[in-house]
Amino acid sequence: MLAETLSASIVGVEGLPVRVEVDVAFGLPALTIVGLAGSQVQEARERVRSALRNSGFEVPARRITINLSPADLPKDGTGYDLPIAVGILAASGQLRDVDRLRETALVGELGLDGAVRPVPGTMALAAASFGAGIPSLIVAGAATGEAATVSGLRVHGAASLGEAVGHLAGVRDLAVAEPTRLPATVAGSRGPDLAEVAGQPLARRGLEIALAGHHNLALCGPPGIGKTLLLRCAADLMPPLEDDEAIEVSRIYSVAGLLDRRAPLLRERPFRSPHHTISTQALVGGGPRVRPGEASLAHRGILLLDETLQFRTDALDALREPLEGGSVTIARVDGALTMPARFTLLAAFNPCPCGWRGSRQRACTCEDAAARRYLARLSGPLRDRIDLWVTMAAPSALSSARTDGIEPSAGVAARIGKAWRRQLRRQGIANGDLPAAALAEDRGLGVEAEGVLAQRARRFRMSPRRIHRAARVARTIADLGGADEVGREHIDEALTYRGAVDS
Amino acid sequence: MIGVGARGPISSASALTAAAPPLRPEEGGWLGIDLAAIDREAEVPYWIAISLVPGVGPVGFARLLRRYGSARAAWAAGPALLTALPRVPDDAVAGLARLHREGATRVADRVALAARGSGGTILTALDADYPAALAAADPRPPVLYLAGDPASMSRTCVAIVGTRRASGYGRSCAAEIAEELARAGVTIVSGLALGIDGQAHLAAIEAGGRSVAVLPSPLDRIYPPRHRDLAARLVATGGALVSELAPGSAPGKPDFARRNRIIAGLARAVVVVEAPDRSGALLTAAAAIEHGREVFAVPGPIDAIASRGCNRLIADHQATIVTSAAALLHRIGAQPGGQPVSVTSLSDPEALVLHALLERPASIEELLGRTDMATGPLASTLTLLEARGLVESYGGATFHPTLTARRIGRQN
Repeated sequence: MLAETLSASIVGVEGLPVRVEVDVAFGLPALTIVGLAGSQVQEARERVRSALRNSGFEVPARRITINLSPADLPKDGTGYDLPIAVGILAASGQLRDVDRLRETALVGELGLDGAVRPVPGTMALAAASFGAGIPSLIVAGAATGEAATVSGLRVHGAASLGEAVGHLAGVRDLAVAEPTRLPATVAGSRGPDLAEVAGQPLARRGLEIALAGHHNLALCGPPGIGKTLLLRCAADLMPPLEDDEAIEVSRIYSVAGLLDRRAPLLRERPFRSPHHTISTQALVGGGPRVRPGEASLAHRGILLLDETLQFRTDALDALREPLEGGSVTIARVDGALTMPARFTLLAAFNPCPCGWRGSRQRACTCEDAAARRYLARLSGPLRDRIDLWVTMAAPSALSSARTDGIEPSAGVAARIGKAWRRQLRRQGIANGDLPAAALAEDRGLGVEAEGVLAQRARRFRMSPRRIHRAARVARTIADLGGADEVGREHIDEALTYRGAVDS
Repeated sequence: MIGVGARGPISSASALTAAAPPLRPEEGGWLGIDLAAIDREAEVPYWIAISLVPGVGPVGFARLLRRYGSARAAWAAGPALLTALPRVPDDAVAGLARLHREGATRVADRVALAARGSGGTILTALDADYPAALAAADPRPPVLYLAGDPASMSRTCVAIVGTRRASGYGRSCAAEIAEELARAGVTIVSGLALGIDGQAHLAAIEAGGRSVAVLPSPLDRIYPPRHRDLAARLVATGGALVSELAPGSAPGKPDFARRNRIIAGLARAVVVVEAPDRSGALLTAAAAIEHGREVFAVPGPIDAIASRGCNRLIADHQATIVTSAAALLHRIGAQPGGQPVSVTSLSDPEALVLHALLERPASIEELLGRTDMATGPLASTLTLLEARGLVESYGGATFHPTLTARRIGRQN
């Protein structure tokens, strides 16, 4: 006898509806799963067998064939346990009334005792099944919060296979989960406060501009002058995610299995700072089972690469695509797969391997060629995508004594928030995220500002790409100052961060 | 002491005598050789051919001339000429044999062709164009390869040399001195190296002056490659490139020692702008002292490793201290050049920032305290001043006023 249950699969960070077809036929007892089922799905046979038996059901001593459709899509994960088990029950006549099966998707891992457990990506799976017109979903009780973020979807939490079957058979209905609401505010602090950072006014201001307009920032300077401390402050300086952004980001974290199930919707902008030993796959995503990398986990937030030049060069080069297009494309045998990855890059590195090049107090021990090779690890295309450059030096004795002017994070965050609102109102997108094509036509500068920019570009020998980037930064500086028009002073301040022309 | 590179206090032992042993004049000098008596047309091919023999340098060449009377006679002597050399490298015999097989005329033609191919000409000590200053610095290189205008070397030449790892301070000083001298009509000679050398060349030509680069490599293989564009600009602005190595020859290591001797020989004075201990610039200074040229050194902070060589030159009375570009100009006996391009009036914040920088170059951090401006407006003002050519950061965190700015400061 044939039966069909509904479920969903994860492709990248998106869900895709999947039908689980179960055929119970005469023949030697066997349980076969087909439809490009990976090893985790193959193991479902053992879990399902035990779960059925221990839940008081019978595993038919027949030839059971299970097909996951579309069959050409590679599938992995443990979420098919529940739909397979229910499918076997329906196909073997143990679950009679199958009306509800047609309007209920099933997602969940089974314990040997029949317990239903949550799986990663529930949010995307729920969205996909609802998007395919399936009005109900049964997931593990712990996963209802994630699933109920999809408005309109009826989510039922089942503790066990028995409960799920009882609901489907209409014996004992499961309650519909309350829709999950976005947290109103961001709670707690995640990093150090700017008040702890001594001196370095230009780097502080550079960070403020970078965060306000989503521009990429690079800090270069000797060890121990507070590059890392300063950049870690960024975690608490960013405005909260907008509603649609929160759903989008939370979904990525759901797929990565990084969500707190009790509070599944994120309000805080992501702040990721992978260690420099990270592999390319872990940074941008990929691998045999495609998982979002750090670049995608930093979507709509910050990717901090401390000791940037210590990262593998292939990993750094892999960041070119997300920096330019805001997404990562992973080529696979069966086609390419795209994941969102629109982040603000914060980079910090030493000027040479020993770190002391350019320092007055300590001699650099690096060969010239070695120092050049070191900086060349940041390839030209990547360099071009960094909008703000700050060369940092050890604070002088005079200035580090000054503590009166140090502004704590709260004030800076407020300015950044205001500038962000201005950008949203004007163009619905951050200045740094404006597509290049839009900028080529109109940089949004007045006649005077354009003239100043053109004159400076000649004087400082800037490439067209750098001119565009400077224009965006100037726009953000104007937004920070609450100015409607970009003026001469905004252009000039933006150009302070243009970086040294290599001589 | 501060830092890891410190090696004790400044010693009373000379920084220079250790660098290059002095040469006795009878060993390598051209004294007693009457160049005027030599038949230029007949001799030139042999001069070129012999200058290519491994182991033949200015000293060896002079000895050959003295022993055989002419290059042609020396050439005819075959391998025997090697016995006159102070030092015979392993490949000298094979190299000489190869040149002999080719024949002096054909060798000379080949080298002349290669020189033309790289945009240069051959200049022997027999030529009228041969720089007079170099002729007075025995032992003179017998054959030079030159691209550009030889007349640039017949004007007063001052060498500006220093470390490749220049600080903003060093770059600023090099630029200011080179600009002031170039405006006064002095040709700036240097070694085209990264850092101080390049900065001096660049400032000279940007001030409308001329500059000569002495290469450690042949004309067809500009070293360092990153300064290829700069080299082309030097030639285009009336300066010259000079090398002692024949173009088209097998690639070898850049010969910095010989380059430094030519720099010292061409210049009326050598200014060491910024040099750590054991810098190549100190070798140039040593060669300058040997040639009887005046040596100047720009002092640096006593805790700056990059200036230790300069400070020691001054401490050991081997160099005259440079207190300002104007004072240096006066010492050399040059007249200050025309006024720089006029600058339209400065706004209040611009004047405030510029004034603070004229007192002392500073980072943005220090300027914040001295001007009481906010970071944003201060950064904006600095960029504006930079665009006007009044301020330079030389890629570092410290901002320096330019020569133009100093002149404005002096007027007000």
